[in-house]
Amino acid sequence: MVEKYDPQMKSYQLPTWLDELKQKLNHMDDAEVVEHRMGTSASVHLLYINTLIDQERLNEAIIQPLHRCDGNSLSSCITNAKVSEVTSIEEAQQKIMQGYILLNDAVNDQWVGVQLETTLGRAVESSQTETVIYGAKDSFSEQIDKNITMLRRRLPITTLKSESFTVGSLSKTKVVLLYIDGLTNPKFISYARKKIESVDFDQFLDSSQLAAFMEDHHHSVFPQFLQTDRPDACAYALGEGKLTLLVSNSPFALLAPITFFHLFQSPEDYFLRWTVASLLRLIRYGSFIVSLALIPFYVALTTFHYQMVPLPILFVLLESRSKLPFTPFVEGLSMIVTLEIIKEASLRMPTKTSQTLGVIGGIVIGQAAVEAGFASKVLIVLMGISAIAFFLVPNYQMTKSMVLVQVFLLILASFLGLPGIVIGLIGTLAHLHGLTSLGQPYFAPISPFYGKGWLDLFIRGPLIWMRTRPDYLKPLRKWRQEMKK
Amino acid sequence: MVPYKHYSLLAIACLMWMAGCSSPYVENNMIEEIAPVVFWSVDKGTEGKFKISTLVPPLIQEKKRLLTKEVDLLKQGGKEFNLIYNRELKQGQLRMVLINEELAKKGGIEKLVNTILVDPDISMRVYLLIVRGNFDEYIKHQLTKQENQDYFLYRMLKHYEDYNQGEMSIVNIHQFMKKLYSPLEAPILPVFRSDKNNFNYIGTAFFQEDKEVMVIQDVDDEIFQLLDNDHFLKVLAIPKLSVSLGRVRSNVRMKLSRDYSSLSLHVGLNGRIEEYQGEKEIQSEEQLEHVIQEIEIYLEEQTSDLLKRMQRWKVDPLEVGTHSLKPFSKEITEKQWLKYWGNIKINVDYDIKIQPLNNVERLM
Repeated sequence: MVEKYDPQMKSYQLPTWLDELKQKLNHMDDAEVVEHRMGTSASVHLLYINTLIDQERLNEAIIQPLHRCDGNSLSSCITNAKVSEVTSIEEAQQKIMQGYILLNDAVNDQWVGVQLETTLGRAVESSQTETVIYGAKDSFSEQIDKNITMLRRRLPITTLKSESFTVGSLSKTKVVLLYIDGLTNPKFISYARKKIESVDFDQFLDSSQLAAFMEDHHHSVFPQFLQTDRPDACAYALGEGKLTLLVSNSPFALLAPITFFHLFQSPEDYFLRWTVASLLRLIRYGSFIVSLALIPFYVALTTFHYQMVPLPILFVLLESRSKLPFTPFVEGLSMIVTLEIIKEASLRMPTKTSQTLGVIGGIVIGQAAVEAGFASKVLIVLMGISAIAFFLVPNYQMTKSMVLVQVFLLILASFLGLPGIVIGLIGTLAHLHGLTSLGQPYFAPISPFYGKGWLDLFIRGPLIWMRTRPDYLKPLRKWRQEMKK
Repeated sequence: MVPYKHYSLLAIACLMWMAGCSSPYVENNMIEEIAPVVFWSVDKGTEGKFKISTLVPPLIQEKKRLLTKEVDLLKQGGKEFNLIYNRELKQGQLRMVLINEELAKKGGIEKLVNTILVDPDISMRVYLLIVRGNFDEYIKHQLTKQENQDYFLYRMLKHYEDYNQGEMSIVNIHQFMKKLYSPLEAPILPVFRSDKNNFNYIGTAFFQEDKEVMVIQDVDDEIFQLLDNDHFLKVLAIPKLSVSLGRVRSNVRMKLSRDYSSLSLHVGLNGRIEEYQGEKEIQSEEQLEHVIQEIEIYLEEQTSDLLKRMQRWKVDPLEVGTHSLKPFSKEITEKQWLKYWGNIKINVDYDIKIQPLNNVERLM
């Protein structure tokens, strides 16, 4: 039953709110406006979207208490759910769409909201993108509150602050900025706040989209925010003095400010013995160079610098290239593109199909290309090494970016040989040097130089030596240890 | 102005640039279009010309051909080879230069070697060899018999160079030139004998300036390896005494008198008896001592003889002259030194230490 306008009522807007809200919910089949009696006398209107709310809880927490209630106000009747007052029609609209039940008590001139959002979502699962052998197995999910819970459990301190923002004119995505008060540099916090507030877009489906808006350098191939779905990595980063951004409906948190070298660090580095972790880290850097430069190096050597090849290897190279119709550049480029096609196809396919694809790609295309005389055996071997080396870099976004750098180096190598590769690498280095993440230098602690930072750079130094937080993050509390009394 | 904080980046960039430094004008050397030459064989041609030979294609599994040209200049040979072969011959992977002994004896190989040395495309690690006999004939004969003969020859030289096995004197082009241009040092080169079926090492050639003056072989060459070249011999076979010493390491001490009138050469040898086919019972310590003494006397005589021949030919490959150098004193000239060297009285002393044998009857 719809309330009529009554000039005797103090606030004539309330029935209008109801009308307006009904108007807004028009043509929404899952929108419900129902009337219930509160106790024996007054009637209460309930407005909600039934696909967003938990029906059982609605009955339990609202309808039954309302029938039993003989009190005067809604908040005194509903005792087993959190009741919040609604003060504007915009807020009312927003709350309905967030899974709230709006209750209107016309007699008491009261609008309240009760959050009964359905707990639809994944359980806590282990990370698929950053797997570790040792260490915590849980990972973030699409529910932002759960994600915050995971972080709060790891950092049970009152100084872990969280600030909420809403971005996206359509998606109304909730973004939570987390930091440790008194540790994280306030400049980063205000910078991040400013960046989030300036974001203007309609939809945010993943945190990477938010990162694209917040990055200082939009056109760079290198990610300036680290995406992770591991709560332990986030907690560690927060403890170092970084910021964490959680985005609703995205299982990936954003960490900033980061440096280029963070892209080579895996959470497991800190769980293994420092010597082992250091070796693995060095292998990762080595494989980064190999994956970028191996194919361009092959092209440079076979096109310009045959003198540099040791004679036994030249013997093999000459034989494998003697009957090929393509130049080393065309051969290299076509194989890189083919490999990317295989990689992309195997990602998009269901698991079982992708296995078949791997076999077809690896054996049939590789072997057949050699036998047909389209590619040299040596190149296929190098492609294999290079492709595997790509996957050693823990950051997936970085892995994707590296292909572009590889092609860039390949083109330079085909024109200028080894000097071309060096020019390309110096250019890449200069570009990396010019990048910033949340306004902080991307190539620290090498440039600008911070000596202590080197303890956790190419190697992962012993934790007992890493007593201070990284200087380049300019933390307010430098020492990781607390003085024991 | 680079802020000081960023010097590290600048340093890295500079290091990278230096590591990849070369002319920005790169020469197209697509490996399927070229034929890298592994060796050049230089012989005496007619009318004062050089006869240059090489094998193409040196590596690829195609039918090989031996190219020979008579030219006035070395580079001219390289150029003319290109005109008769479909791939472009490149010298960047040149690994061996074989010079005929007749040419080496005539002198003037310095200019040949220098041509290769100053070529920026050619590595300094080119082996120089003296060939006695006709190398072309050998290669031509081996073409059908064994694939990649030239490549295996290179591998053999590399093997003996890398591990200092004391079997051969292996000399690179830059080592030869360094000794050639240094006073008080005489260059050496390995000598190989070549005929239709064989190509084998025979000894070491000593040079006076760039002219071959003597070749030492067999035991003399082994003594030379111990005295100067590798100071190690895997096997020192002395057929005259029916004994073979194995794993022989030498410690050579030279003492030159102040007036350059005498040289005392003390050679300490450490090794083991690996073979003995003589009459003595080397299980007996007393007789073993006799055998060792005999070896010492034999080596002393051989070494004295070798040194006398060096004196006679006025060559000093052992670099004895460098012992005349003293701080703050005027350096003796090569001419002066060779004059002294011819008349020096040499006293050779060997001291052999044999590793203990099992089952030796000890003297009580």
